[in-house]
Amino acid sequence: MSDQTKTWLGSRLPIAHNIGNQLSRKPLAANQPYLAALGMLITATLLFLVLSGVVLSAYYVAAEHRAFQSIQLIMRDVNDGWLIRSFHATGTTMLFAAVYLAIFRALVTGSYRLPGELVWSLKLVFLLLMLLVGYLGYAMQDSAVSYWSLHGVVQTGAGLASFPANIFNWVFGGPAGPGTLTRLAVMHGLLTFIALGVLALHYFAKQAITPPAEKTVPLHPYYTSHHFVAAGVYVLLFAVLVFFAPHLGENPLNQAPANPLLVPAVTTPPWYLLPATALTHALPGTNGGIIAFIAAFAVLFGMPWLDRSAPGARPGFLYKLLVVVLALDVIALCLVAAAGPSTINAVLTIVFIGWYFLHFLVLTPLATARELN
Amino acid sequence: MKFGIFAAALLAAPLGFGATAHAEDTLVPLHWQSQGTFGSYDQAALQRGFLVYQTVCASCHSASAVHYRDLTALGLTTEQVADLIANIKQDNQPVTLNSRLIGALPKAQAAATFGGAIPPDLSNMVAARPKGVAYVYHLLTGYQPAPADVTLMAKHYYNAAYPGNQIAMPAPLTDNAVTYADGTKATTAQEASDVAAFLSWVSDPNLDARRQIGLRAVIFLIFLTLLAIATKRKIWRDVG
Repeated sequence: MSDQTKTWLGSRLPIAHNIGNQLSRKPLAANQPYLAALGMLITATLLFLVLSGVVLSAYYVAAEHRAFQSIQLIMRDVNDGWLIRSFHATGTTMLFAAVYLAIFRALVTGSYRLPGELVWSLKLVFLLLMLLVGYLGYAMQDSAVSYWSLHGVVQTGAGLASFPANIFNWVFGGPAGPGTLTRLAVMHGLLTFIALGVLALHYFAKQAITPPAEKTVPLHPYYTSHHFVAAGVYVLLFAVLVFFAPHLGENPLNQAPANPLLVPAVTTPPWYLLPATALTHALPGTNGGIIAFIAAFAVLFGMPWLDRSAPGARPGFLYKLLVVVLALDVIALCLVAAAGPSTINAVLTIVFIGWYFLHFLVLTPLATARELN
Repeated sequence: MKFGIFAAALLAAPLGFGATAHAEDTLVPLHWQSQGTFGSYDQAALQRGFLVYQTVCASCHSASAVHYRDLTALGLTTEQVADLIANIKQDNQPVTLNSRLIGALPKAQAAATFGGAIPPDLSNMVAARPKGVAYVYHLLTGYQPAPADVTLMAKHYYNAAYPGNQIAMPAPLTDNAVTYADGTKATTAQEASDVAAFLSWVSDPNLDARRQIGLRAVIFLIFLTLLAIATKRKIWRDVG
């Protein structure tokens, strides 16, 4: 911008001018790791998904038995449609990878501890919203697997008690019928914008609890150049997946149209829904799965209080080791869920989910209390 | 289990040839040019594969996501495609460049012929199966006499590659079912290999463009990231 334009903008719209000036001079701790860019990358990816999603919505038809054909049109006949859809699908993979990594990092570094409990809770709320948005996007494809998954979910919802059923009807719009995919598409977009709001709240809540650093540098040019490196590596990985593995972590049957007469043998969802899927299939009955899912998130929300360490103490080696084991446990759970139902897998699922709850309810309080002394 | 089917098909394929193929036939094309990270389609194989599809498969199977005009991607000019489809008819009308690839036999009639099994649309057949291109090849070459302990259902055939081994489609390919314009010998294995290549193009017509753009994008981004690292180091030099 020329000086003349700056003066003109400053006198006509001072707020834009001031925010820009203050943001670029904002003092930040000088010793942040590259992973500190995760929040920025998650926000940028979500905005990118909004952009590509808006373009896709110009051709997507949200109606049962027509949605799949409209996606075929995007992939084959719309100019560069395959590229936009690949951006959207792979962007989802990148977003979930970044969100799971951010939550793992928060657990390892102990940033969930008081006074970080609100920042931590907002991370979890964001993950919940993304799981829902991700599932809706998956169901919107009306493929050979997502069709049956959606019908299963809608039937489960119909069997629920009144209170969750109300929420359920709000999201899924009651029994599956001609209008179901239209409602899913609306919720898919709406919840994304709510998630953007949650990201903003997370940012401001984090600002409020960040202690003043001893040594600071201004955001520009120091952290702009720093984050540019992180973004470069992230976008490079993104591009490799878009162009060389556009269907990574996807069930091949997701590329076949829905068949209302044939339930597929392998119903593996996209990789980012595997932890949630494993939880909802862990306990028998309709309510069992929902109870397991709610309990799994309840212990996560409870972390600031399950951690017994002294205020200001750094997480110890034993605790960090346990978090790494927990991550391996969740990955193992996903692999079992991807392998499909069998007797051994049912047992393994219970074992891995059992370890998950043991970690939060027993091992974390013990390990952190030990570090108290 | 996937590996089991694959292994069974691998073992079974040479046995299948033994019954039908010529003695000098050693073609076991378990590699397609489009496989691997940087592979691209072999256009000659795609053209041969289209001939097999149109002569044999299209009697019953559609590939309705594809139009005849899209065949220019096989390395043909629009005029060549127009010549190629000049004698093809759908519902007794000649097809145009904008017609979709639809099977000649109405679905209900096909189902009646094949014991109630509806011939599936082939638009996404390769993409929707694990190791799809090899699966199609092994399916087409996997027909065998049924083992003694297997009782076949009515109007079903024994196929080593098909899940459950009982398939309603009779063996579609025979030696010299087509005459290749480029002089390639039309063995059953060659036809299966070519039509598998064609169907993988049908499933993923943008593979070549994707990988070409991708290579350029990745090289550019590596350069940009290195530049970003150099810039960051220079800016942060005095911070330490």
